[in-house]
Amino acid sequence: MANLKVDISDLNKSFGDNHVLKGIDFKVANNEVVVLIGPSGSGKSTLLRCLNRLEAPTSGKVSIDGKDISNTKTNIDQARENIGMVFQHFNLFNNLTVGQNIELAPVELGKLSKEDAAAQAKKLLATVGLEDKYDAKPQSLSGGQKQRVAIARALAMNPDIMLFDEPTSALDPEMVGDVLEVMKKLAKEGMTMVVVTHEMGFAKEMADRVVFMADGVVVEEGKPEDVFDHPQNERTKAFLDKVINV
Amino acid sequence: MKIRLKLFFALFFASLGLFAWQAPTVHAETTYTIGTDVTFPPFVYANSNNKYVGIDMELIRSIAKEEGFKVDIKPLGFNAAVQSLSSGQIDGVIAGMTITDERKQTLDFSTPYYESGIVMAVAPSSKITSLKGLKGKTVAVKTGTQGASYANSIKDKYGFKVVTFDDSDNVYNDVKTGNSAACFDDSAVLNYGVKTGLGLKVVTKPADVGQYGFAVKKGQNQKLLKMFNAGLAKLKKNGKYDQIIKKYTGKTATSKTSKSNSEDRTFLGLLRQNQQAILNGILETLKLTIVSIICATIFGILVGLLGVLPNKFARGASTTIIYIFRGLPLLVLALFIYNGIPSLTGTKIPAFVAGIITLTLNEGAYTAAFVKGGIDAVDSGQMEAARSLGLPFGKAMRKVILPQGIKIMIPSFINQFIITLKDTSILSIIGILELTQTGKIIIARNLEGFKVWAIIAVIYLLIITLLTLLSKWVERRIND
Repeated sequence: MANLKVDISDLNKSFGDNHVLKGIDFKVANNEVVVLIGPSGSGKSTLLRCLNRLEAPTSGKVSIDGKDISNTKTNIDQARENIGMVFQHFNLFNNLTVGQNIELAPVELGKLSKEDAAAQAKKLLATVGLEDKYDAKPQSLSGGQKQRVAIARALAMNPDIMLFDEPTSALDPEMVGDVLEVMKKLAKEGMTMVVVTHEMGFAKEMADRVVFMADGVVVEEGKPEDVFDHPQNERTKAFLDKVINV
Repeated sequence: MKIRLKLFFALFFASLGLFAWQAPTVHAETTYTIGTDVTFPPFVYANSNNKYVGIDMELIRSIAKEEGFKVDIKPLGFNAAVQSLSSGQIDGVIAGMTITDERKQTLDFSTPYYESGIVMAVAPSSKITSLKGLKGKTVAVKTGTQGASYANSIKDKYGFKVVTFDDSDNVYNDVKTGNSAACFDDSAVLNYGVKTGLGLKVVTKPADVGQYGFAVKKGQNQKLLKMFNAGLAKLKKNGKYDQIIKKYTGKTATSKTSKSNSEDRTFLGLLRQNQQAILNGILETLKLTIVSIICATIFGILVGLLGVLPNKFARGASTTIIYIFRGLPLLVLALFIYNGIPSLTGTKIPAFVAGIITLTLNEGAYTAAFVKGGIDAVDSGQMEAARSLGLPFGKAMRKVILPQGIKIMIPSFINQFIITLKDTSILSIIGILELTQTGKIIIARNLEGFKVWAIIAVIYLLIITLLTLLSKWVERRIND
């Protein structure tokens, strides 16, 4: 793959005695949408967090756009500017308004003037359907609204890859749709995305590739129709039986 | 024999002085810092204007005048004065100190200026008339005095127990309330006390007779010692010495005090008489409080921030600083800084500065602990979200974490400010003339313990109320 966005080889991560990632090889092409699925504790979120070094790998190599993220000499702040991340619990900055949440990084990092950042924030809020919330405090928003602001905040740095860590798991069911809509829009625009989710519908519809993980290894991967309709591995079958029957 | 009574207080006063220096040419006026007791009448005590008077005070001032030097009197309390002398914080001590072989090991004494012995005093109604009557009883003495050594030397023989106090008034009160059967103190002191309405009676003849001397640290300030001896000789010759002794031990001494007994002893009267002293005490307390709150807050925030840096050594340093200075009793820290460090380095540290350093370290350690805790209490997702946007640690801290952490910390800050204000009272131990020390000194003179402490307590409560209101106002401003 010539235009490789993410290239991970033999990645290991341990928390104390707990060996969470066991020699992962994982690649993502430009403009690809990859969905990570698997039972909880399988290491999906940890793998995602290794992509922007929120977790430092125990061993192995992680590169993004050819930059060695796992090397401590790499300027990680600079690398992160191009890697957007969306969290399960939104993590909006509680001391700032919605608008300030979105403007903070571009202004502080000298990417945009205050005026330009404000204009951009309003535009991004419009694309996630929240143009009237510019002056609101995060505490006044619903979970779905918060998550859409969080996506807008990540987009404000104009990243070329977006990481989603169970973005809808903390939401009430009726809020999930709005957030998925925004993610679909992004995917259609060609954003490279790595998504950890339990939303199998989203995976089927939007993923270029589905990766099934269990116990810290990649068990099976492939096009969604292959993985969902013709799983090869017993563990994949068992997992899919459970989640799809629910 | 020794001396000292116990009565109360302390403070500084300072500066009375003159010059000295038998300096050849210029009139270089040297000022010597002289430590003394808080109250040891008739040798040292504060008069109703809160000015230090007594035999020792008049002698040292007269000698200074004769010999041409200045003295800065610091009523530190006997124990603290001797410690400050051996640590080099002060130049000399005159406090009715008996010359003993033991003391000569670390101090050089002047020629004796007074002779006295230890007597026993009991409550007026007591039936005890001799040492034999003490069997099985408790005897009160003041820490470090000759009376204390005397009591300890005979306690086995007569079968009594010894209890020690730092202030003379506590010793006398203990006898008056009946907790102790008797107290031992210097004859001149107890006789003077009896005459001036102390409310005890002296039942023995002076024993263990000894001589009082002015002291400097061994091998130091020999010039000062020589001047003292020369001056004393002059005063004896010109009759001034006899005049001073008579003034404080003669019959007139009594009438003087009965006048002070007729002072207005109501709350308002006490407030009026001591207005200036109390105001000065409040100002000193406020000064200490404000300066140490500022210093401790800055120090605490720095150490607290050090404790959340992503660096093991920084966090270790922070934890260690907090551990040490939160673990040390404030009193020990104050004495260590004021007396301990100078005795090692030989550099004097002014009491106010030592007090500020003490409070900064101690209150700052508490501040650091809750600053760290406040930052840790901010959801770790906030930092992760900020860092994932590419914000460096410092910017994320400043723009996202601290604004949220500070809100969490505000109640702790207010609490710490109030504790700092109260803790300034502990600095009375190193002779800072703040509100508590002022109270001790006033009581040493008029023995109105209940009323004066009630006044002091109400003043503290008033200041604390003001400080709390101010803090709440600031809190509201920040939260809006």
